[in-house]
Amino acid sequence: MTFSADTVSSASVKSRSGKKFFTARRARRTAVALFLPVSLTLLWWIASDRGWLPEQILPSPAYVYSTMIEMIGSGEILYHAGVSLRRVVIGFIFGALAGLALGMGMGLSRRVDDYVRPLFLAFAQIPTLGWIPLLMLIFGIGETLKIIVIAKGALVPMAMNTAAGIRAVPADFVEVGHALRFSRWQTLRLIVLPGAAPAIFTGIRYGLTHSWTALVGVELLASSEGLGYLLVWGRQMFWLDVVMVAMITIGLIGFAMDKSLDASENYLQRWKKEGAD
Amino acid sequence: MPNQKHVHIKDVTRRFQVNGNTITALDSVSLDIAEGEFVTIVGASGCGKSTLLRLGAGLDTGHNGNIEHAGKVVKGPSLDRGIVFQEPRLFPWLTVERNVALGLQNSGFTKDEKRQLVTDQIELVGLAGFEKAYPHQLSGGMAQRAGIARGLVNRPDVLFLDEPFGALDAITKARLQGELQDIWAREQITMILVTHDVDEAVYLGDRVVVMSPRPGRIKEIVPVNLPHPRERTSNQLAHIRNHVLEVLESTTATSKARPVQAKPGPQKRRTTAAVSAVPIALNAKANRQTLYSSTEI
Repeated sequence: MTFSADTVSSASVKSRSGKKFFTARRARRTAVALFLPVSLTLLWWIASDRGWLPEQILPSPAYVYSTMIEMIGSGEILYHAGVSLRRVVIGFIFGALAGLALGMGMGLSRRVDDYVRPLFLAFAQIPTLGWIPLLMLIFGIGETLKIIVIAKGALVPMAMNTAAGIRAVPADFVEVGHALRFSRWQTLRLIVLPGAAPAIFTGIRYGLTHSWTALVGVELLASSEGLGYLLVWGRQMFWLDVVMVAMITIGLIGFAMDKSLDASENYLQRWKKEGAD
Repeated sequence: MPNQKHVHIKDVTRRFQVNGNTITALDSVSLDIAEGEFVTIVGASGCGKSTLLRLGAGLDTGHNGNIEHAGKVVKGPSLDRGIVFQEPRLFPWLTVERNVALGLQNSGFTKDEKRQLVTDQIELVGLAGFEKAYPHQLSGGMAQRAGIARGLVNRPDVLFLDEPFGALDAITKARLQGELQDIWAREQITMILVTHDVDEAVYLGDRVVVMSPRPGRIKEIVPVNLPHPRERTSNQLAHIRNHVLEVLESTTATSKARPVQAKPGPQKRRTTAAVSAVPIALNAKANRQTLYSSTEI
């Protein structure tokens, strides 16, 4: 991505020479990225081995590992993760679409922005969890509540980034569309949205992360299934191994979602750099 | 006999409101441009040359007076009028090919005709082989070629060029000037080019329109009665260039002596980066290098 920025040659030559370089670099980066997790696991292992904390509070890595294998084998983890993922997907889709629409409105129209932004900013300041008591009274503690809370988590970053991205599209680009007699719809589709795409993608990524954390929050408070519920239940039973398995699963799924979005973002915006393919 | 009033500009005045002051960017300017003619416009910053170009192209319509193209009043942009900006303004997410094809979005051509036109234009500007390249892979000169191809792809009968080579190095600039002249000769398109480079104006123009600033007026129209393609080093060309330079210098000298008509407005350049669509035409040239680079090559 940083190499061969100034030479003018055909793209294929660059990517071919770039590929080799990439794998060696990637291996090193993976090693660097693994350094901290491996060290922490080691510290955890030493701590439990030496009994720095009581075993009921800090179970050993080996014990957690065996619980995890057991829970995977019994399908328990898969079941709870599936429930949580389904909620996130539905909530995120609603929230992201609403956020996209709101962000487009705010980005395209000064007037909409003037009307909406102050309230929206105040609204965004209230943490997702802060909404739960009120929403619980209105919607009960069923699926609707969870979907709404998750959707709200996605809506705010999505709307903010979309609006900012649209604002940042250079007026010069829009003028090109004007000179080529583009309709409003053509300008939006061919200039404004592609120009705002990187920012919208950032919104999607933040939105998904927020949805995921909001999910765990709402499941902690009001649920009888899902990964958040697993956490609460494990704590009540004092099964810290279950708690840690649930935490690890939440972390890994969140990480995997972010990584796959990153990959699709790179794919969609391959015009930005050379080596990606 | 070509239409002598292919582009007909009559008593055009354009005023802008900047910070409560009225600035007269153009003060009753009249200019007729013949079909197939190459007219260049030079002038100091703030002389309204870009404003005039934008009005002619239909990008700006807030004027008093009359602007006609091929007998029809210019009310907005048209696909019969191409435009090339100083920055190539290519969309970074599209390949060269698709950037050029964007110019055909609202044309009546069929799919096959469009494809052919795009291929032809890319070849015409010397970018064959770079159809699939993205703008960031192009040098400045190549990007501007693509910009010219997009301006020409609709087969307009007038092409407006707003300092198209202003940001290029001297060698690339000279080469593109030569190529633009070839394209003009081959396609027989009326071309109107705004520049701050006197050499460029004299080398390319059939007539050189010299404008004076504050308020923007046409000071003199200098004919260049030399056949195309021209010899850059020829004595006649140097003679005309010197004359244009003299006229230009007189415009800046008189404007200094004249009482300041437009108050502090124009000196206050780009106070904020905020989207101020209006004064762009006036201020765009503020931070550009030397005004007349008399011997670029």
